Amino acid sequence: MTMEPQTSITPPRVMGLYDGPLWQLLKETDRLHLQCCSACSTWRYPPGPVCQECLSPECEWKPVSGGGELLSWIIFHKQYLPAYPAPYTVIAVRLDEGPTIISNLIGDPREENPIGRRVKLTVVAMEDGVALPRFELAD
Amino acid sequence: MSKRNRVAAVVGVGHSDWVGDWNRVRAGQRPDDCYGYAASAFRNALADANMTRSQIDGLIVGPTTAYERMAEVLHMNVRWGDQADAVLSVAQACMAIETGMADVVALVYGNDQRSVGTQYGGPQAMGGDMFLSYVYHAPWGMTSQGALYALMFQRFAALYGISERDLGHVAVAQREGSYLNPNAIQRKRITIDDYMAAPYITEPLRLFDYCLINDGGVALIIAEVEMAKKLSPKPVYIEALGRFDLNTGATSLEPRLTDFYRPAQQAVAEQIFGQSGLDPSDIDVLQVYDSFSVHIPLALEGYGYCKVGESGKFMREEGIGIAGKLPTNTSGGHLSESYMQGWNHQIECVRQARGECGDRQIENCRRVHYTSDVAGKAVSIIYGV
Repeated sequence: MTMEPQTSITPPRVMGLYDGPLWQLLKETDRLHLQCCSACSTWRYPPGPVCQECLSPECEWKPVSGGGELLSWIIFHKQYLPAYPAPYTVIAVRLDEGPTIISNLIGDPREENPIGRRVKLTVVAMEDGVALPRFELAD
Repeated sequence: MSKRNRVAAVVGVGHSDWVGDWNRVRAGQRPDDCYGYAASAFRNALADANMTRSQIDGLIVGPTTAYERMAEVLHMNVRWGDQADAVLSVAQACMAIETGMADVVALVYGNDQRSVGTQYGGPQAMGGDMFLSYVYHAPWGMTSQGALYALMFQRFAALYGISERDLGHVAVAQREGSYLNPNAIQRKRITIDDYMAAPYITEPLRLFDYCLINDGGVALIIAEVEMAKKLSPKPVYIEALGRFDLNTGATSLEPRLTDFYRPAQQAVAEQIFGQSGLDPSDIDVLQVYDSFSVHIPLALEGYGYCKVGESGKFMREEGIGIAGKLPTNTSGGHLSESYMQGWNHQIECVRQARGECGDRQIENCRRVHYTSDVAGKAVSIIYGV
């Protein structure tokens, strides 16, 4: 699988040996795929060489359901990155499959406390074409 | 477990001119590089200990200087050498002494982070090569250390009912200490209203929740306990050391978001209080690594100074300032004294235990607990006299 090049618009993605399929499949299928252990079915994120539960290296890239629970949220009031003028929201979500993912919330979290609420994954295209998984409130 | 208490003691401490260098750097000067700041602190520590370099046979340098160059600058050939952060330098000095690899160890730290513009956020964030979480979430705009603690505090606050106003007690209490500390960079007292009126940086954290960024150095000299008693009129003993690391799920911040570092701190509490035969009520002063104010309520709960979920009430009602029930970060800490990455806390522990802190001295201070919990790696030392 070929690796997408980094651009100067989306802040750099960590591209280790195991990261490529996540980003490639996201763009090609519009769904988030994660490694799922072939031996014990544990999902893993971020991508890595072996299953954290059973240490098996065998895995399959499978799509996640996109559902999860919002664990926490913050609003950046200071700009650190060209692609992200302040204010903007970052959230932590526990996916129904188990892993926790850091992402963005589409919408204003200050309207009501969203901690503990259901969220749904949606894939957004950045200006440079990078596909990024983000979330919106689902309930 | 073998008792590790009183294997070694601190016999000398020193620091560079934090306040003078802060003013010089703000005026556009570069007074020193990291090696120069470290050398300045080391000279002061030698003078404090009334010792010469020839009496030292071990050297541990901080993570911001190269070991060999630091040793070359200080002109020291030693039989034990290493590089570590503040709290692990003390631990490694004790281990070197206990195993007979060294008798007297100098711990030396220098950092020119302000004058060279070290980045703690953005694509070049410091530490990204060691902690994947510091850089992994950049595509979503998640960057800077403060944001990691903001995300942690938001959930902690929602689960346990601690308010942003409660958190403000940390910054206010530490300014009570720095107000009385001539070595501190920020000495103006603030109120809770001042805290609340300051802008958010990463909501829910505000300006006063963030540490300073300044240049400087710190040094300590630690000796084998019997030698320490001969070298110093008031050795400050290492009564206990403990460590426990939460690593699973670290990149996705799980130790922060689901455990709030608590299991690590509870494991360390068992080690240090068990080794020393002490309990939290025996601690006179608490020092907490405070890159952000959030570390303080987490440590209060994790180490059993108050019940889980009650740190807000504890800070509000019992107090963590100079006159509070548990004086915490009495020098002003990283928020207000100097951001020396845990090193300034070590020398404040020693000075409080020696009774040398002047206007900010806590009366009858005999035991000081230092703890750091950076990225879920909980480490603690109890210093005592």
